[in-house]
Amino acid sequence: MALTITCPVCGKRNGYEFKYGGEEKGPRPEEKDLNPQAWCEYVHMNKCVAGVQEEWWFHKDGCGSWFTILRDTTTNLEQEKKEAKK
Amino acid sequence: MMNRLDHMPTLKIDGFRKIGFIYKKKKYYGVEGDTVATALYANGIRIFARSLKYHRPRGLYSLDGECSNTCMEVDNIPNVRCENTLLKEGMVIKEQNVKGSAENDMMSFIDKMDWMMPAGFYYNTMHKPASIWPIAMKQIRKAAGLGTLSPDFEMPGIYDEIFPTTDVCIIGGGPSGMMAAVAAAKKGLRVIIMEARPWLGGFFEYRSSQYKPGKDKGSQSLHDRALELDREVNALENIRVFTHTSMVGAYNNNLITGFQIGKESDLFDQRYIEIRAKSVVVATGCIERPLIFDNNERPGVMQIGCALRLANTYGLLPGQKAVFSIGHDLGLEAALELSSLGLNIELIADIREDGQNPELLQKLEDKNITLLKGWVACKANGKKRVKNVELSSIDGLASKTVSCDLIVASAGMTPVTGPVTIAQGKLKYDAHTGFFLADKLPEKIHVTGRLLGLDNPLSIETSGTIAGLQAALDCENCSIKEIGDIKKSLKNLPGPTRGTKLVTAPVKGRKSFICFDEDTTIKNIKQAIEKGFDVPELIKRFTSAGTGPGQGGIPGHNLPLYVAKYQALPDISIKPTTTRPPLVPTLLSTYAGTNHIMLKQTPMDKMQREDGGIFRNIGVWQRARYFSNDLTCKKEIENIRSNVGMLDASTLGKFRIHGPDALKALQRVFVSDMSKVQQGRMKYSAMCNDDGCVIDDGVITKLGENDYYFTTSTGRAGQTVEWIRYHTRYDKWNFHIVNLTDSMGVINLAGPNARKVLAKIVDMDISNEAFGFSEYKEFNIKDCIPVRAMRLGFVGELSYELHVPSSYMLSVWLMLKDAGKEFRIQNFGVEAQNVLRMEKCHIILGQESEQRTNLLDVGLEFLWDRTKADAKTIGAVALSQAEKDKDRFKLVGFKMEENGRAPHDGSLIVDEKVRGYVCTARDSFSLNEAVGMALVDGPLSKIGTRLEIYEDECNGKRIYGKVVEMPFYDPEGSRMKM
Repeated sequence: MALTITCPVCGKRNGYEFKYGGEEKGPRPEEKDLNPQAWCEYVHMNKCVAGVQEEWWFHKDGCGSWFTILRDTTTNLEQEKKEAKK
Repeated sequence: MMNRLDHMPTLKIDGFRKIGFIYKKKKYYGVEGDTVATALYANGIRIFARSLKYHRPRGLYSLDGECSNTCMEVDNIPNVRCENTLLKEGMVIKEQNVKGSAENDMMSFIDKMDWMMPAGFYYNTMHKPASIWPIAMKQIRKAAGLGTLSPDFEMPGIYDEIFPTTDVCIIGGGPSGMMAAVAAAKKGLRVIIMEARPWLGGFFEYRSSQYKPGKDKGSQSLHDRALELDREVNALENIRVFTHTSMVGAYNNNLITGFQIGKESDLFDQRYIEIRAKSVVVATGCIERPLIFDNNERPGVMQIGCALRLANTYGLLPGQKAVFSIGHDLGLEAALELSSLGLNIELIADIREDGQNPELLQKLEDKNITLLKGWVACKANGKKRVKNVELSSIDGLASKTVSCDLIVASAGMTPVTGPVTIAQGKLKYDAHTGFFLADKLPEKIHVTGRLLGLDNPLSIETSGTIAGLQAALDCENCSIKEIGDIKKSLKNLPGPTRGTKLVTAPVKGRKSFICFDEDTTIKNIKQAIEKGFDVPELIKRFTSAGTGPGQGGIPGHNLPLYVAKYQALPDISIKPTTTRPPLVPTLLSTYAGTNHIMLKQTPMDKMQREDGGIFRNIGVWQRARYFSNDLTCKKEIENIRSNVGMLDASTLGKFRIHGPDALKALQRVFVSDMSKVQQGRMKYSAMCNDDGCVIDDGVITKLGENDYYFTTSTGRAGQTVEWIRYHTRYDKWNFHIVNLTDSMGVINLAGPNARKVLAKIVDMDISNEAFGFSEYKEFNIKDCIPVRAMRLGFVGELSYELHVPSSYMLSVWLMLKDAGKEFRIQNFGVEAQNVLRMEKCHIILGQESEQRTNLLDVGLEFLWDRTKADAKTIGAVALSQAEKDKDRFKLVGFKMEENGRAPHDGSLIVDEKVRGYVCTARDSFSLNEAVGMALVDGPLSKIGTRLEIYEDECNGKRIYGKVVEMPFYDPEGSRMKM
């Protein structure tokens, strides 16, 4: 409830305007020679880090865009991208 | 009714405006401005309630609702905190937890049985054998507890909610809070003040002592100063004040929650408030730390602030003859004020041997009021209210008894640190003040005023300004230097005063209550410590001290002090117990808020209701499910099969997707090869998720170059944009998707006579040759209403799906109704459609599928195009893996052996174990058979397999069906193509 998320279009807003879209895992793998194991890893397996993770959010009650943020899963606080990327 | 004092400027009542209320079936009067508690007090009521466990008489003790002493039933709502509830005309007030009345409670004998009930007695007794507990529990529940609520009780009142955003949120509208607000607001910031009382002013507001400002201010009382600050606050447009608003929670990123109690003029009774602030200032000030002695909660014992505010705010002299037993200068000040208002003060016992304000001492001497330093009250005598008090020197050497009807008792002050701790701040015991002071504060949270241990009015105000500027600094509107300058000026003002540490008078403590709500005595605490509980947090749980409605307001400070002292360890650290939200008891209905009906209505809603539609909530919509009380919809179905009908299908998801990369996006989400979608024709396709499970189906057509129009099922419409954008989020494709679901309505005109009806209102050839099955046409009705028409066959008959702008829906509907009059056109509802399409074995996702059902299971593999690997179609990988699995559920059609005996939807297909379930089954009027569709284990899906069906409440009797070819009705599909 107390989470805030910074939308690249609309700015910092209350967490309930957004929908979670999972961890950032990179684009869909090429289908050629893709074995079931690797596919399952991509779709279902998560790192579930205790700490800062990059993750997708959808601004459902706003501009309707998908974007990533960095969030500390232990404090539920968003981190600024610049400082965390260092 | 007592005469009210009427000359003080501090009064908040209007003695001329009487307010009538009912108490114990008799009419009483209070005055405007009264709380329920003060109105009862004015009418001579001294016993408000009986206590939870021992049924001891309880009266007015504080005036801010820190204990359950004055919880009563008001207008059928139990546990109303009467001290915080303003009196309204016609209120009906009742006592609770009494057998008889609060004055004469037949359960009061329990008070003598306390020896049977040591700390934690119900953990230790009544559980061996286990069968005793249910019986014992019933008896305990009868005897103990607060108000009662019947299960069918419906909460009256209007509840609202608001979610303001602000720069600075200030909790507490006392002097330091107001100064902080003014300082921050003058820096151009938006400020919110939350104040629990119905007015601003806090610690200054009810006091008439001198404010002692700089020389230029002349003589000004604290009350005048509070008014001055109030005016200053109100003059600033960027300060929003919420009075009668309690803060109840604090969460990450400075999210502050609370609730406001509405005034008579407000449109709500209570309103939930959730404030998002950049910076927070906690200025909650102090409450009094209760003095513990024998019978310290007898009616007639009250705190300093309670006695003083009864007089100064409500015009009620709290008693006739009073004895004070206090440990703070506020007690001396109150004694002087109350004495000048006519209260006889027999004696003041001050815990402190020295350190009193010499000016106050002089005034007491002038008034001939006896002050005993180093003395304390030991026992209040009097069965139902105070008759006399036994006092003793703190060392217990000397004692005396004084008769009185009022004991003003308080051990000292204690800061209201709840907001700090629930915001995850840490507290540390401070030996000088005896307070728990904020030690480590979270980012952008500041404390001020008496929370810093300050007591001097000027120090309090200056600290408020500092906090306001610090908040401004958080918002980058203030310089560090500016704060430094004011901090210097605070250094020249009086700092925190030394506080008293005494918790209890020298007594054994069998009837000395540390927590009123839970009837916990000092003796109980000792018992818990002797059992080995050494931390206040554990003792709190074992003795339940501080777990009542007051949320630790009474024992919060005393418990850790006492525990530390009693254990007599050399290196004991004094730890406070944890505070959790809600800080103040909050109604569930306040949290629930306004309870809007959040269902959508189609443009035809009103008309369909007038036509006798029986509505049901379907997903986010309200839809007409039936048009008669015959829930089998026989007439509606027969009308479609043989004549013509109209269905409002406006809930269908409708989307336009366009742009250079629109086709790529479609290829990603739809399983078919979307490059084959043509202008003028409809294509049916489906969407899967990454597991190959089918999530949506619909039709699509091409409107023009890079421009498509498609439908989704009703339930998926809300997620479609999100879904498509999610699955194309890495691709940076250039397309745009527009949700037209609400801007377009849909009429499904179906039945053999549908063409004849439609032909009457359009000016074009709609013969089967000109407008064939599966085709798409755009035309205008009456040259102005643009219609997108598609020939589909969901119900298995000739039908036209007309997509019409919502604003024209009613017009087109009425034209069709008019045109169809000669054919006796009828409405049909969602249930008739459900049966009609089931007979055709057209699936509805969610009904013929569940979470795990994939595209192949429901027999839609013909939609899947395997040649577009480059599109990375969602679900394709999983589908090619699932294809090899023969054990998956399969969708089959079945016919029942017994006619007229269709199983309920959801019945199980069984043999020795569960083998599947019935999706939809009905007695078909068109076929004169009971038919349905079911998802069954792969091996059971062969034509001719006998299915054993288990229905709920079938008493062991199974019913049987047989797998047959699909569809059941018109297998060649000639009727929808005619």
